[in-house]
Amino acid sequence: MWRTGVDIGGTFTDIVFLDEESGELKVLKVLTTPKRPSEAVLSGLEESGIELSDISTLVHATTLGTNMFLGQEGLTPPKVALITTKGFRDVLEIGRQRRPELYNLFFEKPPPLVKRRDRYEVEERIDAWGNVITPLNVEEAEKLADLICEKGYEVVAVSFLHSYMNPIHEEKMLQILEERCPNLDVILSSKVNPEHKEYERTSTTVVNAFLRKLLSTYLTNLERELREKGFEGKLLVMQSSGGVSKVEYAVERPAAFIESGPAAGAVAVSHYSKLTGDERVIGFDMGGTTAKASTVIGGEPTVTTEYEVGGKVHAGRLVKGSGYPVRFPFIDLAEVSAGGGTIAWIDEGGALRVGPISAGAEPGPACYGRGGDKATITDANFLLGRLGKKLAGGSLILRKELAEKAIGGLAVELGLEMEEAAMGIIKLANTVMAKALRIVTVERGHDPRDFVMYVFGGAGPLHGVELARELEAKEVLIPIHPGVFSAFGLLLTDYRVDKVRSVMKLAEEIEDREVEEVLAQLEMEASKELEGVREVHAIPSLDMRYRGQAYDLNVPWRGSVDQAIRDFHATHGRVYGFSSPDEPVEIVNVRLALIGSLRKPQFPRMRAEEYRPEPEGSRKVYFEDRGWVDASVYSREKLKPGATLEGPAVVEEYDSTTLVPPGHLLRVDEFGNLRIRVM
Amino acid sequence: MVDPVTVEVIRSSSSYIAEEMGIVLRNAAYSPNIRDRMDHSCAILLENGEMIAQAEHIPVHLGSMAVGVKNTIDYLQRSAIELEEGDIIVLNDPYIAGTHLNDVTMVKPLFHRGEIFGYVANKAHHVDVGGMVPGSISGSAKELIQEGLVLPPLKIVRRGQLDISVLNLILSNVRVPRYTRGDLKAQIAALNVGERRLRELIDKYGLETVIEAWNRTIDYTANYLKGKLKEVPPGLYSAEDYMEADDRLLAIRVRVQLSKESIRVDFTETDEQVDIPINAVYGVTVAATSYAIKAALDPDLPMNYGFFKVVRIETREGTLVHPKKPAPVAAGNVETSQRIAETVLKALAEPLKGRIPAASHGSMNNVMVGGMHEGRSWAFYETIGGGMGGRPGKDGVDGVHTHMTNTMNTPIEVIERECPVLFVEYSLRDDSGGPGQFRGGLGITRAFKILSDRAVLSIATERVKLRPWGLEGGLEGKSGFHYIVRNGERIVLRAKDTMELMKGDVVYINTPGGGGYGDPKLRDPSLVKEDLLDGKISEETARKVYNLTI
Repeated sequence: MWRTGVDIGGTFTDIVFLDEESGELKVLKVLTTPKRPSEAVLSGLEESGIELSDISTLVHATTLGTNMFLGQEGLTPPKVALITTKGFRDVLEIGRQRRPELYNLFFEKPPPLVKRRDRYEVEERIDAWGNVITPLNVEEAEKLADLICEKGYEVVAVSFLHSYMNPIHEEKMLQILEERCPNLDVILSSKVNPEHKEYERTSTTVVNAFLRKLLSTYLTNLERELREKGFEGKLLVMQSSGGVSKVEYAVERPAAFIESGPAAGAVAVSHYSKLTGDERVIGFDMGGTTAKASTVIGGEPTVTTEYEVGGKVHAGRLVKGSGYPVRFPFIDLAEVSAGGGTIAWIDEGGALRVGPISAGAEPGPACYGRGGDKATITDANFLLGRLGKKLAGGSLILRKELAEKAIGGLAVELGLEMEEAAMGIIKLANTVMAKALRIVTVERGHDPRDFVMYVFGGAGPLHGVELARELEAKEVLIPIHPGVFSAFGLLLTDYRVDKVRSVMKLAEEIEDREVEEVLAQLEMEASKELEGVREVHAIPSLDMRYRGQAYDLNVPWRGSVDQAIRDFHATHGRVYGFSSPDEPVEIVNVRLALIGSLRKPQFPRMRAEEYRPEPEGSRKVYFEDRGWVDASVYSREKLKPGATLEGPAVVEEYDSTTLVPPGHLLRVDEFGNLRIRVM
Repeated sequence: MVDPVTVEVIRSSSSYIAEEMGIVLRNAAYSPNIRDRMDHSCAILLENGEMIAQAEHIPVHLGSMAVGVKNTIDYLQRSAIELEEGDIIVLNDPYIAGTHLNDVTMVKPLFHRGEIFGYVANKAHHVDVGGMVPGSISGSAKELIQEGLVLPPLKIVRRGQLDISVLNLILSNVRVPRYTRGDLKAQIAALNVGERRLRELIDKYGLETVIEAWNRTIDYTANYLKGKLKEVPPGLYSAEDYMEADDRLLAIRVRVQLSKESIRVDFTETDEQVDIPINAVYGVTVAATSYAIKAALDPDLPMNYGFFKVVRIETREGTLVHPKKPAPVAAGNVETSQRIAETVLKALAEPLKGRIPAASHGSMNNVMVGGMHEGRSWAFYETIGGGMGGRPGKDGVDGVHTHMTNTMNTPIEVIERECPVLFVEYSLRDDSGGPGQFRGGLGITRAFKILSDRAVLSIATERVKLRPWGLEGGLEGKSGFHYIVRNGERIVLRAKDTMELMKGDVVYINTPGGGGYGDPKLRDPSLVKEDLLDGKISEETARKVYNLTI
């Protein structure tokens, strides 16, 4: 039987198959069909020659959530209404009253998801401690329910102030709506996201309201079509948190599904790090247009709850206010515009710049000879001898004269030699990418010197060692199949259910038992989703802060509030450079992630016998401090575990090339990974 | 000579270091003001105070930081205070630091082999620095000393050791010492991180290379800006606009001389300084002018000292835009800065026709409330957005912060837990946007009830009398309107006012709408209908102003 992962990206749909018995791996790339994404999936599956009836599990991920959400996938969004506390219907539109760009007089805020005419208010009020100040005006609520029914809304989101402390009014509203308008789909903020901060909670609720129907329509169709073609296995959905969910539950919290594609890469890194025993790992994925960095510590990917759907990213960070906030766990990724196709140019002040524009796959880098005439990172790598002439097993032959023409133009303008200009492009690209790496390490309070870098994506292994040096990371690991490593993550996931409950109390006023009770409740809610899953374990944690602080830190729950307080002070010290042990500490939320193990493919540990492989040949490669040197060229296919070789060298394989700078030693480990110690 | 690639690598690394300092500061700060609203900035400067890189989240800090550090260096020299390695200077004297007292500045000298080669600095808005009213920004202050504790440059950290007596002096003069302590510590932590990163940069490239690259970065910005000036018709352009001071209107007058090589901005004809806190210290005037020029010419213009090699800002001491001590200045930052920026934009509307919007709500609508509740003092400060002016080709944005600020609101669910207030409304203000082919944005209504026995409210707002102007035939936006409801009676507030509040009082702040752009008769009727459906304009406006037949 085959386990299958399907990752629908913007351009390509990647499909990976793993034979559960033999461990054989098959990889397939087909063009995405944006209007009907399932078409590409089905045609890809057909092309693979693998019978649908031979697939035991199909894990589905996509980056299309956002597009789907913005109505670009040919799915009509439902008619949504929002009900809020009287006086507050515009919270959704005002947001945090911030503009996404400081100096641009022509900036736009994303239009509100629910127009003002579709936002309604009802009299009710609960205070910050959950006390009812003004009871829900039932008569008004009933009238409103009738109006909503009459106007033909399909979905209603309800978000009342402080409902995370006391959901009684939202629940009453639900009851009234259900009685008077039975076919309505109602979503309560106290169910979807019971946390404080009214705008973020309302936004999360509304995004869910929008996506629930879209996602269920899409997944139901996909499942039906798969079943019709003979698929009898399990269909699972990847979540942005890096865990999978059964379809019926994914539909309950569709917003958790939005950025599931990129999460797969982090999952692959996580699984691999458990295998190799690397405690602290930076995942670095460099493709054609962007580079992404994430961290995995103790086998767990780092997760954030600050995310905006459709938001813009600037220099690795999310631009606040550029999208729609969703508070669910997302794999914490920093993304920068630097990939093989990223264009180098000279700006109005006469400085060399790299990105953010990419030549993409079409026309692609100049050296591809497909009509591109702009210098790209790939052109620079090629001119410097780092990238060989033949790519993809010889199906693409790079043209040196075109790369020279593109980069030569820049060199003349800058008054540099050709290789200096090419090297300049590499250095600038590395500076940009190093920033993404710093965002996920240094800015989160981690010292990159403690980390091993797992480098993948087609272009990553060319830059890995130089980046690791820049960051002073200790080692670089290039996994097998670096070009499709990310999609690989789909075969390596577990079930994951996240639950949260607001507590908002001084830590010293809470007893261990109270926390345990909340956790037990959360576990009960979460475990419903994992019925039939044999191996389940819980990851409990607390969001804590000093009283008065506006942000909190997540600290693992180890059975004792005192311990949590100590852990909080220590974490605060590590992340922010100081702690205040005399200050009162608050527990904001109790969190629980329930993980249900799925069977994963085995990666056999092979016997490594030390030997020195023979190079296939050699070529001139340019290094900044050495100039042109002779580098040995190796074919990865032929390297066996235990092979050791010394830089300067390049290791070529079907979908990637690894650069080993002078003085660096590469060793093939027991799993076939390339490991390079950073000097 | 350092090659251009190394220059670019050092430039982008430096700007990243400034950003990283900002993140450390924000993450470690206590007050929602910094954590949530991001009212802070960080910078790297050369040894003579010329700015290399700055990460600002709020434009009013742009440029004022450079003025402030330069003044600080001069002050230390004049006072014969010698800087040693590991020292950190703290100050907030507006006449030195370049913004109001709430903005506490810290400066750390950077040493290499015993010599200073530069500084890292940051500035953060503290929620309270003492003075007459909670939040420190009082509409009725007559002199600086009433606006809070004035700190001249002094060492808060000596050779790496926190000076507890200085810290205690500060904490004894503020209303919420818990916040102040946390925020000061965060500022120190951020400077230390900045210093460490710059040291790493110098270890890698060598000091000489780094300094040369920094100087080249400055030249680069100057050249970039000159390149932009080539696209603009040279000439002398002038404009004036007014600040509201009780019964008076005070004029800000600007003349902008554009040439191919330089911009000269002349404020010398502006009205004299006054004894209410709307005087804008020179640093604020520099910041507001820099903002307007950058926004109008190229929002992506990289900012550093090179900008000031091209732009010259002339003022006359003793005026509203360059006061002399002891004039109060608290609202100069938050209110006059907005007017300075919009007056410069108004002057540029002629040479840059089609690129400048109508007037925005033109205020930060500052609200400060505080008092005692159950034995504990409390204070909160917030700024409220309003309508942006209509733009050539686009409506103004509704309910947003414009120009010199971009701080976030503090969530109601956060404030209500911290302070004894209960919000009753937070909404867009119907029909407040100035009509035009491109409508001005709507203002905001924010209203809250006081739950503690006594409290003091202080507001500093603008455009209560004069409405935000339209452009190219667009009409004015609605003016601001603020009041208190006490026992069913409405007590109207002046643009700048301070008032004792009683339990049960409800404070209503209605911020102005933006001015319209272009003749309203030319507005696309379908957009008029949309606005009507959303209740953003009234039926009357739709009919009378836009000629819509319903």
